[in-house]
Amino acid sequence: MSSYVEGVAILLGLNIIAVLGVSILTGFTRLFSFGNAGFMAIGAYGSAILTTKYGIPFIPAIIISAAFSGLIAYLIGALTLKLRGDYFLIATLGFGESVRVLFAYIEPITGGARGFTAIPKYTNFYITAISVVIAFIFAWNLVHSKTGRDLIAVREQEAAAEAVGINTFASKQLAFVISAVYAGWAGALYSHNLTFITPEMFNLAKSAELTITTVIGGLGSLTGSVLGTLLVTLLPELFRSLASYRMLIYGIAVVAVIVLKPDGLYGYREFSINRIISYLKKVFVKAPKKGADIVERNT
Amino acid sequence: MNEILKIEKLSKYFGGVKAVHNFNLSLQEGKIHGLIGPNGAGKTTIFNLITGIYKPMDGNIIFCNQDITGKKPYSIARLGIGRTFQNIKLFANLTALQNVIIAGNQDITYNLLESFLRTVKFRKEEKSLREKAMMLLETVGLADMADKMASNLPYGHQRKLEIARALALNPRLLLLDEPAAGMNTEESKELVTFIYDIKERFNLTILIIEHHMDVISNLCDECTVLNFGETICRGCPSTVKRDRLVIEAYLGEEYVC
Amino acid sequence: MFIQQLANGISVGGIYALMATGYALIYSLLGFSNWAHGEVAMIGAYIAIISVLNAKFPLPIAIIIGIIIAGVFSFINEKIAYKRIRDNKSPTMFLMIAAMGLSTTYQNAATNIFGAKFKIFPGLFAVAFHIGKITIGSLDLISLIVSLVSLVVLDITINHTKVGLGIRSVASNSYTASLMGINVDRYISLVFLVAGMYAGCAGILLGMKYTVYPTMGNVALKAFISSVLGGLGSVRGAIIGALVIGIMETMVTAYLSSGLRDLFTFMLLVIILLVKPSGLMGVHVEEKA
Repeated sequence: MSSYVEGVAILLGLNIIAVLGVSILTGFTRLFSFGNAGFMAIGAYGSAILTTKYGIPFIPAIIISAAFSGLIAYLIGALTLKLRGDYFLIATLGFGESVRVLFAYIEPITGGARGFTAIPKYTNFYITAISVVIAFIFAWNLVHSKTGRDLIAVREQEAAAEAVGINTFASKQLAFVISAVYAGWAGALYSHNLTFITPEMFNLAKSAELTITTVIGGLGSLTGSVLGTLLVTLLPELFRSLASYRMLIYGIAVVAVIVLKPDGLYGYREFSINRIISYLKKVFVKAPKKGADIVERNT
Repeated sequence: MNEILKIEKLSKYFGGVKAVHNFNLSLQEGKIHGLIGPNGAGKTTIFNLITGIYKPMDGNIIFCNQDITGKKPYSIARLGIGRTFQNIKLFANLTALQNVIIAGNQDITYNLLESFLRTVKFRKEEKSLREKAMMLLETVGLADMADKMASNLPYGHQRKLEIARALALNPRLLLLDEPAAGMNTEESKELVTFIYDIKERFNLTILIIEHHMDVISNLCDECTVLNFGETICRGCPSTVKRDRLVIEAYLGEEYVC
Repeated sequence: MFIQQLANGISVGGIYALMATGYALIYSLLGFSNWAHGEVAMIGAYIAIISVLNAKFPLPIAIIIGIIIAGVFSFINEKIAYKRIRDNKSPTMFLMIAAMGLSTTYQNAATNIFGAKFKIFPGLFAVAFHIGKITIGSLDLISLIVSLVSLVVLDITINHTKVGLGIRSVASNSYTASLMGINVDRYISLVFLVAGMYAGCAGILLGMKYTVYPTMGNVALKAFISSVLGGLGSVRGAIIGALVIGIMETMVTAYLSSGLRDLFTFMLLVIILLVKPSGLMGVHVEEKA
């Protein structure tokens, strides 16, 4: 495998992990966070500090820093998830920005705004691939179990969820912690891939990018999130000339998706080969029918 | 006979408005009790107080000898109080079957690890929950609509689905908030039989808010009339219908003869 | 020294207030945080500066053009995105996501069209006025006067005119207002237009005070925090919140460190959310289920 392909694959892998976290939070629980870049920063700086300053091996460093991200999310969630949706969003935004400013300020530990340099390059294709597989299987099993149904109930109708015995607060907190662990995990892989990080890499725009990818992939679909990440990560690699228009295109895409087709590429359902085949059959055997997939979903 | 629900001196004000004032109720197991009164009389507020959506300012709610005053809605639901909502609150983007399955989640005892390993226990519990949900859909006559999205069901079916969802919780007490809203005389007659059947079948006690007097008369053992948060009359439906205060509250003074 | 900083703080706070009131108005009508508001300010600043630099308009004309175009963009946002989402009956969260998408779009469009470099308003003469012990720059004085007048006009419009009554009725309950024969969509469009013009004005003032660049809209975050501080949806609260933030920022910069400035602002945000989530002027309403 060429180093270029490996580099793209690693980037793709860690984006998938971070986006899966947002997918559980936003797609399945309908909580909107602007702070997930902050959790990535905690994971990235945490593991960088653990490996360089304390000589802790890479894998335990990933686990510790991702768990620490989750712990912070637990504490913040305990304080803010009681607030209404908007306020929660604002609190995560305040958190994300505070983390960024704080890391820029504590220069002796983090290298300040100029960045944390000379992080050993531990992240490779295999660690990333295994991480993606574990992250996906965990998310998939979670969503397809009692716990996942609780999250979906919170998304659909909070009052009704409580009325059927679901502890909506605990469900939201779980989703928030999982999304933070995923973000921290991705962050740890990120810093040991790039070998140097700055606080500015984990700004509001990064949090927004994670949410944008989730929305383009489709709220409420894990496979959609993976497809969305593939699209968002690979398109700029394939069309280098469009690289400077990357975020512009995503901005327009997310507005278009949310206005015209709010469930995105694969909203509220998962990618399945059988459905694609039956869809293709329908298209090619019968007369091609525009918007057939929409009809199919609504019936 | 057991007293399943006991409410004492329950009060709730919104700002200066006395939504519920000094409300008392004693409900025996297996009975159907009606709550009637004009709009804004505080009926739904009482439901919201019992189910923990509002915290009462004063008073106690005892369910099965347990004080549930001020408890969180989900823990009250888990104790066995199911409800429906006046303005239907279904999980709109899910199928009818999924709506019921979610409510049956409390039956499930497997933990996260077991669900990841897809153990025998996991598969068994998921299967029996699915069967239970199908059975409940059959009970309310929606078995053939199991895979339809809840928001695409006709209004009357949505109300039935809400009842099926509430039953999935294995409740001992069921709170029905205007189940006959929007129904004609024929349909509400059917509804009376239906509610009576599920009461018998699932050993329920029912508290029902309703405007259709025929539903109340045919169904309830006793009913309470509220006006401006105050209890103005209580008794069996036929007595209540003749009560001077009740007629005043509903129709205005000039109709009292 | 202290009074001097206070004066500077009020001047900055005034500019924040111009944006914060727009946030508050839109929130009070639609119940969502319009993240694209800062980009509207950025657009106003860019239009004004290219009107001066490229089209060679006199500065006052350029400013007016900038303000109007900003209003138009805000109006367009409502028409192409928010209104359709409301008509789809999508959850409120979708409005916020759309706003975030619009914000990303405008920021990157500006980078592609104008470049990432800073632009500076030309020909601004800086005269310092001395009032007692305070020295205040002409620009600060102008922005103080402009924001003060605009805010008073806005306050009077909302609280004492027929249009203001219409806006308040839509804010209190848009459904009931529509039953009363009020054209809800027209009021919402009007509010977006006016809020956009105020934001454009704030953007131009900020551009004159500092520089114009594609991500300058991020400063709207401060305006947003101001409106949370004052109580989301309360216009007067937003003004007070903006002044508090403006003064706090200049004080932290002057006495502690400019690096800590934003941290203090965010800390204040988090503390307010935890202690009194409804904000300084907000009223806690128990929602009827």
